[in-house]
Amino acid sequence: MKPLLTRREAMALAAGAAGAAVLAGCGKPDRLPSAPARVAIVRAPAYDQSIYDTMRRLLREQVGDVKGRTILLKPNLVEFEPDSSINTHPIVVHAAFEAFREMGAAQVRIAEGPGHRRNTLDLAEAAGYFATVPNFEDNFVDLNLDDVTRVFPSRQFSRMEKIYLPNYALGADLLVSMAKMKTHHWVGATLSMKNLFGVVPSGIYGWPKNVLHWAGIEECIADLHAAFPRQFAIVDGIVGMEGNGPIQGVPKQAGVLVAGRDPVAVDATCCRIMKIDPGKMRYIRLASGGAEGSIAESNIEQVGESIQSVATPFKLIREFRRLRLEA
Amino acid sequence: MAGAEFAAASGAAPALGAMSVETVASKQNPDGGWPYVRGVSWTEPGVYAVLALLAAGEMGPARRGLNWLRARQLADGGWPPQAGVDESTWVTSLVALIPEEHLGPAAHRRAIAWLTSCMGEESRPLYLFNQWISGNPRSPEKDFPGWPWVPGTAAWVAPTSLAILALDKEQRRRPSAGIGARIEEGRRFLFTRMCREGGWNHGSVRALGYESNPYPETTGMALAALRGVQAPELNLAIPVAQQLLAACRSADALNWLRLGLMAHGQLQPGFCPPLPIRYRTVPEIALNLLVAEAQKGGEVLWS
Repeated sequence: MKPLLTRREAMALAAGAAGAAVLAGCGKPDRLPSAPARVAIVRAPAYDQSIYDTMRRLLREQVGDVKGRTILLKPNLVEFEPDSSINTHPIVVHAAFEAFREMGAAQVRIAEGPGHRRNTLDLAEAAGYFATVPNFEDNFVDLNLDDVTRVFPSRQFSRMEKIYLPNYALGADLLVSMAKMKTHHWVGATLSMKNLFGVVPSGIYGWPKNVLHWAGIEECIADLHAAFPRQFAIVDGIVGMEGNGPIQGVPKQAGVLVAGRDPVAVDATCCRIMKIDPGKMRYIRLASGGAEGSIAESNIEQVGESIQSVATPFKLIREFRRLRLEA
Repeated sequence: MAGAEFAAASGAAPALGAMSVETVASKQNPDGGWPYVRGVSWTEPGVYAVLALLAAGEMGPARRGLNWLRARQLADGGWPPQAGVDESTWVTSLVALIPEEHLGPAAHRRAIAWLTSCMGEESRPLYLFNQWISGNPRSPEKDFPGWPWVPGTAAWVAPTSLAILALDKEQRRRPSAGIGARIEEGRRFLFTRMCREGGWNHGSVRALGYESNPYPETTGMALAALRGVQAPELNLAIPVAQQLLAACRSADALNWLRLGLMAHGQLQPGFCPPLPIRYRTVPEIALNLLVAEAQKGGEVLWS
């Protein structure tokens, strides 16, 4: 990993020093000198073989040294509909799997804990993962059924005082959230941070993981983000979903992969690509740790394509039209 | 769960196959419990394994499994999903399916008491009062309490179906007005959560006005819980279950669809699951054995 202190790591340190008053919104953490988050936007017009080379270059440039590390790739697997744009496309996940192995990772596993359907491997098979990823079962962990550890969130936003999390996810050197770029009928958009709902084990909490809704969806997103400090985010926006996402929306071609070490900055950038104002997204504001200026476009180092060159408005349901990014 | 796959166990109205019984027994952990595939012991696979072994007369591993389960009962009378978890959840319904002569009368009685006191948070008086104070409209979907996955959250189709199965079994053995009332409310809950076309998903009939589709596994569970009920809604639900059965390739879903259709005498005689079906987890294998027993006339989940 890069030794450089990122904005995200600096935020975590600052929050820890500032304590509960900061979490309660009573103060702002002291700013530590930090590097601006870097987010890469790369064009990827289709789910074809070119994804492998695109992903290889993207990860080599953005992730850093992963030799000897354990990597967990966390796609978004929701429903048994391979031709829809609900799930992270398997070729994107396989491309990352191959790239991390080529980069010398000691172990790369694909892991997911779907929130609605309990037969995870059947779901993965229907979603095309068995056909795309050789020996898929040998390289997959069902996070719904993994052994768990009780965790007390260090930075608590939600009403959940404790949460059981899967040991495989807690133990990974790098958790790579591989989300789908989708609108979401409860929180506006589901991107790399919301994708972490899939690490909460349904074997403990059920299908759906309703405990997260009762504790506050947006607050839980921020809590889970804080619970996994070693993250990398990749958002599959090649074909995303607009309208009544995350399941019943319609496909929306954006033709991009968006990636970076700071999930808050990656999600903020994805929002701008979707023509959604990240400053109006409550969970992004929460996860930014009180430093909302850090999600300003000017404070994120964009590499690759510019936001303006790839931005395309995702249709929003009536309840979320207020999130639209003004010109 | 890497690399997990057990031998395919499907076949024409399969008998309680010795190989699958052995597979279940062979997956038993040294502590007496069962994992889903491998790893630590969980309550759900433990219950299905014990039920299948009891049906097969394999008393040795069943007894060790029962000991593991008894030792996991929490002070409130319920069971946690995994050893080390400090809260009772929906798996208490599964444990209560084990006949009391095997689980132990005291443990079973406390499990039933836990179940009768458990309900979706949206049906509790305090929640309803808060909604009324807040001026929120009362939803007719919330008139009938079901069961949650985890206490303190809303009721859903699968945990409600399993709770009904457990309480109905108790009601046949030891009739009680209180239990009868909860069963009736639970069944009404299921009907309010039926998809418009028939069948059930996890319990969300529509989101923001959009209709949602049924799932095979929850449709089977709900039909199993509605055994003996005569209602016009079943005229929609049973054909949906039959359509799902014809298209389904998931072992868990096929198990529950067969049980659900059998509960209404609507499973085609001699039906065998399409090949290849992969039975990957202990619950899938064990429940398949119980389905086979039911196809032979056994009352594994109901008596």
